[in-house]
Formats: sequence, structure tokens, C-alpha cells
Amino acid sequence: MMDLALMLLQQGTTANPAPIGVFRFFAAFVLIVTIYSSFLGFTYWISKDE
Amino acid sequence: MPIGNLDVPVIGKNVVIAVLVQTHILFAAFIIGAVLIAATSEYLGMVTKQNNYERFARSLARFVVLLFASGAALAITFVLALVTLFPVFFSILQNVFFWVFLVEAFMFLGQIIIVYAWYNVWDKLAYRKSLHVVFGFIAGFFGLMAMTMIDAVASFMLTPAEVTSEASLVARSFLNQTMVPLNMHRFVGNFSYAGFLIAGWAGWRYLRTTREDDREYYDWMGHFGLLWGFGFLIMQPIIGYGYLKGIRESAPDAFNTIMLGSKAWVFNLLVLWIAVLSIASTAYFVHKLRFAVKPMETLRKLAVGALGFTALFTVLNIIPANANLVPQIGLVFGQGEDTQIPLGSMYPWKYIGLIGLMLTGFFIVALYLRASATGFHWGRASRWSQYALMACAFFVVLTMITMGYTRETARRVDNNPAYLINGCVKLDQQIVKEGCPATPIIEGAGE
Repeated sequence: MMDLALMLLQQGTTANPAPIGVFRFFAAFVLIVTIYSSFLGFTYWISKDE
Repeated sequence: MPIGNLDVPVIGKNVVIAVLVQTHILFAAFIIGAVLIAATSEYLGMVTKQNNYERFARSLARFVVLLFASGAALAITFVLALVTLFPVFFSILQNVFFWVFLVEAFMFLGQIIIVYAWYNVWDKLAYRKSLHVVFGFIAGFFGLMAMTMIDAVASFMLTPAEVTSEASLVARSFLNQTMVPLNMHRFVGNFSYAGFLIAGWAGWRYLRTTREDDREYYDWMGHFGLLWGFGFLIMQPIIGYGYLKGIRESAPDAFNTIMLGSKAWVFNLLVLWIAVLSIASTAYFVHKLRFAVKPMETLRKLAVGALGFTALFTVLNIIPANANLVPQIGLVFGQGEDTQIPLGSMYPWKYIGLIGLMLTGFFIVALYLRASATGFHWGRASRWSQYALMACAFFVVLTMITMGYTRETARRVDNNPAYLINGCVKLDQQIVKEGCPATPIIEGAGE
């Protein structure tokens, strides 16, 4: 667990074929989808009663 | 360095930029496409006097106005993040593209002003509809110009050229080799992406609504959105081919990285998403032909045949070239790159797949438009046809994200570290080659 935490805090790139790269790839994907869908949902929510 | 070499814990600073830009593009591309689709719909409503067009255009314009803030906020946050995390790289870009960024800022401003004015004067200009439609198209034009400016920067990052004289200044920086194909690719992509999202939204609302008139409207909206979505998607293989050809000629290492090297799997993912989009769209068209006002059984049988061919061609596109599937996570079979998979090579199989997909796509759209001319019975579509529309909306978002990642990851040529400006500036913001365009383009010409 400590090793994983240390690894996540290290610098690296998304293309590095190591667990940190794979983690960052999926972290980016989840963040994009989350921000996108929540902004879209918010826009729908503020407009639906018109 | 002005503010030090900052890093972001856990996800790293590259991911921060990627997340902000990708999310911004998902909004920006939708807004540009949606404004032009809404303006076209308003025009069609004016000409045909059919209420659906006007209702759709107005609802979409309102949604765009509300959505604008999210897209703009992400753009500002992205610029702030870029200045903070990559200050040297940003100053290089500013030196080369000062005027381009300035023009983009004003195009963005113009788009905001006209989009808001367009929506706000909808009732006031009800009796001057032609003028009002022009407002919508001008807003779309400003959006396209803003996109063109940033495309110059994005394409330059992948295929930069050394500015050797003042005469070649514009040609070698703004009009670099992949600028025009990238711009065309995104121009067509905006319509396709927005169209699929509109169709998916219509499918969702169709299934949720209980009112008969709303069912008819959302059924029509799904059909209208998918025509934009699929109609423009089938132009993409040929434009995308032109874009890749430009990359291969001016940045062969980048081309090899994404097409043949360790990142070839991103293209396999991409064609997988396009396969779902194509099959779901064609299946929707086949289903819809059952509800033509004038029964067209022959057309429908031809459409069923086209669905079969679509499936066949998409399978050809998906087959990987070798067993070195995703080396980054160890997904390698047999002898890796040495294990060739039958029917997986680019020539001739992928070419057959892509050309076949385009031709079949044009064929099915032509059949469908022929049936549309006589009209459909709206409000009778099955649940499954609406699920197909929603699947299209979901997979077009995946397509956008995958394509964005593909273009940016192409600069990971040697991955030691990757390039920010291909062949010139590394990910650690070090300029690695003499003559790289880092000075202002006027002053730097000839240096």
C-alpha cells in the first residue's frame, strides 16, 4: 500500500508503461467524463423548467 | 524559469492539461456544431413552415447559450493551468503565434456576443426571419474562425517547420502541413459530434415523455440529429486519410508511433467506436424505413443488405495488424509484433474496410433521404431504435476523447520525454534543436 502511494506521488508520464502511467490514463478518462457529464447535467437542470 | 517547475501530485501535470482541454473540446465542438445546425434548422423552418425545425432551433440555441459558460470556464482554466505548469512552453507559443492568439480571442468574443444576441432577439426579429437566421450563421462563423486559429497552433505542435525567411513566414507557421487537413477534419467532426449527441438526447427524451405530441417531436429530432451525425461521419475516413498522409510526410516518426508503434492500439479503439456508431446508425435507418408514409419495401431490403455490408467492413477495420495489442499493460500474445494476424494489415484490408464503409454509408443515407422525402409516421419508433441513438451519443464522446489522445500522444516519439513541439521542444520544456521556432515570427524570420 505504501509502495503504491509512493508511486502515485512520483513524477512520470502517461505513456510510461508502468502502473503509474496506466493509472493516470484512466484517472484522466474518469475525470473528463465526470466533469463533462456533471456540467451537462447542471445545464439541463437549470434549463428544464423553462 | 519564471515560477519554477511545478508538478501536480498523484495525477501529474500532463493529466491536468489533458483533462481540461479534452473536456473543453467536448463543449466547444458541440457549441460550434450545434449553433450551425440550429441556424440551418431555423432556416429550414422558415422555408418549409414546419414547426419542428423552429422549435428545435430555439431549444438548441437556448441550450447553447446556457452551456457556453461551462465551455468558456474550462478554456480559461486550461490557459491558466498551461501558464502555470508549462510557462516556458507557453511563452514559446506566444512568441510564434501572438497574432493568432489575439485573433482567436476576438473571434471568441464575437461568438459570445452574436450567440447571445441571436437567442435574445428571437421574438423581436420574428417578422425579419432571414436577418435572424443570418445572426445564427455569423455566430457559427465566429466559432469556426476561433477553431481555425487554435488548429494552427495544435497542428504546428505536431508538424512544425523552421521559418527560414519572411516570405515563408505564414506558410511555415500558420499554414503548416497538417493545418488545413486538421481544420477540415474538425469542421466536419463538429457537425457529426453535435448531431449524434442531439440524436442521443432525443432518444432519451422520447423514452421518457408521456405526451403524444412530444413523442412525435422527439422521434423527429432523433432522425434529424442522426442525419447530421452519420451524414458527416461518413466523410471522415477520406478527410482523416488526408490528415494522416500529412502527418506521415512531415512527421514520419509521429505517424509510426500512432499507426505502427506502441500506440497503434489507439487506432484500434477508434475504429471500434466508429464500428458501433456505423452499425447503430444503419440499424436505426433500417428500422425507421418501416414507418415511411409511402411503404418502400424494396428500399428497406436494400438497407438490410447495407447493414450487413457495414458490419463486414467495420470488422475489417477492427482486426489488429499483429499480436502486440496494448504493450503498455502487457496485452501481448504469441510473438508480439512478429505474430501477424490474418486480414489485419493496412493494405489492402483496412483500405477496403474504410472505403467500403464510406460507400455503404452514402448508399444507406441516400436510401433514407429518398424515404424521408415522402415523410415518416412519427412517434412509433421502437425502444431499441432509441437505445441505438443513445449508444451513438455515448460512443461519439469516446471517439472524440480517443482522437484527441491519439493526436497528442503522436508526439511521444522517443518518449524520453515526449515532445511538446515535435522535434523541437521536449516535455521538460527544453529546446533540443537549433533553429526551432521560438522567437517571434517577424523577428525570428531568417534566424
